[in-house]
Amino acid sequence: MLQPDLVQFIAMGGSQTHNGDEEEGFRGAAEQQVEGNPFTFSPQLLRLHRDHQLFEDGDVFRHMYLQDLFISEAEEQPVPSVSEFGCHISGCRAVFSTLHEYEHHYNSLHRHVCCSCRRSLPSARLLDIHIQEWHDALFTILAQKQDMYLCLVEGCGQKFRTSQQRKDHLIRLHKYPPDFRFDKSRKEKGTREASGEQRTDSAVVAADDVCRSEGVCEVMCGVESNQLEQEESMETHASIEEAAQSEDFSASAQTPETNTERLKPKYSYRVPKTVCFGHGSVRGFRGQRGRRK
Amino acid sequence: MWRLNKVRHKAGGHANSLEELRTKRREKERALRQARRDRQLVSKRLLLNEDEEQDTMEVTPGEQDVVTLFQKLQHGSTEKEAFLRPLSKALRNPSAQLTFIKLENSMHLLVGLLTGSDARCRLQAVRCLHELSHSPHTSAASACLPATPYLLTYLSGQSTKFTELCLYTLGNICPESEKVKERLLAQGIIPALAGCIQNHRHNLAVVEAAGFALFQLLQSKDAAQKVIPAVLASSLPSQLLSVLTPDPDFGLAPAIECAWCLHSLTSSSEDHGELLAQGALKQCCSLLVSLGGAVADGNTDQGVELLVCPLLRCVGNLLSSCPSEALHSELGGVDLVAPLCELVVALLHTLPALAKETAWVLNNLTAHSTESCSALLTLNLVPRLLELLPFSQGINTMVLRVLANVAHKKKEFCIRLAELGLLSALTATLKMADQNVVTLSLEVLFMMIVSCPQIAEQFVSQGGLSVLEAIQYNSDGEVRRRATYLLEQHILTEK
Repeated sequence: MLQPDLVQFIAMGGSQTHNGDEEEGFRGAAEQQVEGNPFTFSPQLLRLHRDHQLFEDGDVFRHMYLQDLFISEAEEQPVPSVSEFGCHISGCRAVFSTLHEYEHHYNSLHRHVCCSCRRSLPSARLLDIHIQEWHDALFTILAQKQDMYLCLVEGCGQKFRTSQQRKDHLIRLHKYPPDFRFDKSRKEKGTREASGEQRTDSAVVAADDVCRSEGVCEVMCGVESNQLEQEESMETHASIEEAAQSEDFSASAQTPETNTERLKPKYSYRVPKTVCFGHGSVRGFRGQRGRRK
Repeated sequence: MWRLNKVRHKAGGHANSLEELRTKRREKERALRQARRDRQLVSKRLLLNEDEEQDTMEVTPGEQDVVTLFQKLQHGSTEKEAFLRPLSKALRNPSAQLTFIKLENSMHLLVGLLTGSDARCRLQAVRCLHELSHSPHTSAASACLPATPYLLTYLSGQSTKFTELCLYTLGNICPESEKVKERLLAQGIIPALAGCIQNHRHNLAVVEAAGFALFQLLQSKDAAQKVIPAVLASSLPSQLLSVLTPDPDFGLAPAIECAWCLHSLTSSSEDHGELLAQGALKQCCSLLVSLGGAVADGNTDQGVELLVCPLLRCVGNLLSSCPSEALHSELGGVDLVAPLCELVVALLHTLPALAKETAWVLNNLTAHSTESCSALLTLNLVPRLLELLPFSQGINTMVLRVLANVAHKKKEFCIRLAELGLLSALTATLKMADQNVVTLSLEVLFMMIVSCPQIAEQFVSQGGLSVLEAIQYNSDGEVRRRATYLLEQHILTEK
């Protein structure tokens, strides 16, 4: 770990060479001491040549004056522009003009993301339920014998033998709509929201389309899940068959009973669930990049 | 003399409405930007007669009149002035200009009248030449070349209006071509200009005109080799500096021209020794401080920014040559830190480009000066800087550099910066789309965390952890490396 004293030493060294060249003071000693320290800042005197881009506006201003086009009251005041916030998740090109918008976007679409199938759920609870019901082998086994499908309404606590039964419960008792977006059964995992996604055969889904649509739960920033699963070499059981089957389902179909028979345990982790990068991050690596690490 | 509070139109056009004017301005601005990108940014100035109404255009005499007038001038022995006056008006028309220069002996005639014994004819002749020099056609301006030795000679004369016209004429033809410029240099334009300013020190119009002519000379592409050494060796630097006085009676316009000359000198050449020795840094700083105060208070003459701009640039570039040990003595006790901060804030909404230049000067001031960094802290200027961080197009990047300069100096400074709220400002800038902003924010964060372990804890408690984790998915490799390093080596290990 870089000692604070070392930082001071380097800083002093840096200040002696200041003729406008690239400053190496901080970097020199630091990188010899600590392996792989990527931080390189040191104070730099910036000498700007008259043709420098930073001087463009002022020069134009000057020449407008020379050519008698300078006006006393600025009719069109140049408004200083505000920095945009861009979603940092690689592949998501969404950009926002306020911090709030960005945070809302991030919290809505990237925070509770399933590491296996990369779906984004609106809350931690729904994410847990999703992972349990979709990616947990033990759940599948237990569900054959007992009521495992938890009601989605917090506080209700009732459990059901099948997801269809749960759905009926949600509709009847809790007045949920029949097409509640966050209760898709596993067989429909290949489907997309009508709001914009086109299924294509190519792997990469345009992330900005996806992120733009409001309230979408099946958000895939990156590679499609079936594609991922096909590429996954280790510990994938019958994933190809799964994928092929999911291709057939359209948005409306929901066949509850067949779920339990067709579902096979499928492990498509790239990162074990026990590894957590902290709150709010995707619990996994980004598609291709993660694999190269 | 240019009156800044009036809207002026280039001769030859009516602007019937404000809307037309706006459109014209926008087009002109676009053209100027493109010209600058092509390194072809040059302007000429036309000195109107005092008796000319700027908005009323006489019916422009046709080309025929030019020919007729010329013939009359050739053949008449007396009353030449009577023909010269209308000729100068006629020569405002670009096609008339072309016609005139193609007439045999026309330029010879004009030069003869310029050097003749009739003073009024001399004045009218130089006016004709001035119109030609302002021509959009290169050939017309270059046609004035035979007159240059005389124009230069007359610079040491005493007649003010006449001298003014000579200067603007020279200034207009100067950038026309390499050949013209070399001819003028060989004919001694630099000593002539120095002498002229010396002689006419108290005449604002002449000083302004001389400043303009020098500025034009300094715009040539190889000015650094061919022009600047001679200028620095002459008495021009001290004269230019002496014009930079905040004396309100002296007027802005001459100071504007001289300041732009100084900017051309400091930005084209790295040889600042002579200027520093003459006290340029101190002079520019004190004027900047007094003007800056006026800008911040909001009571400025229109056009003050035209002077503030070149002054900022001079100070910025001179600071980059000034050895840090000598900084304080060079500045002569002028406190720059607070005025610059005020200026950035004041200019942000009126002229954001100038606000960015101000922030650049702050960077150069704080880069190697612990006193300046300390002043930023003790004068409670940091919160104002933090307020600038939302603004893009280079402003926040430069402000982050300044803050990084401060953090780089001392551990105590980092602690103080954290107390002033820098960490929460960084959690916002770390989310911005601009990669330069994110990288610099990470650098600042790194320096702060390394200087004090409590800062890491504070950062985490403000929700910084998730911000850094999000950055690990950033598309830029350098950014990812930094975020990961910071997390692994300094934040997660602390826990």
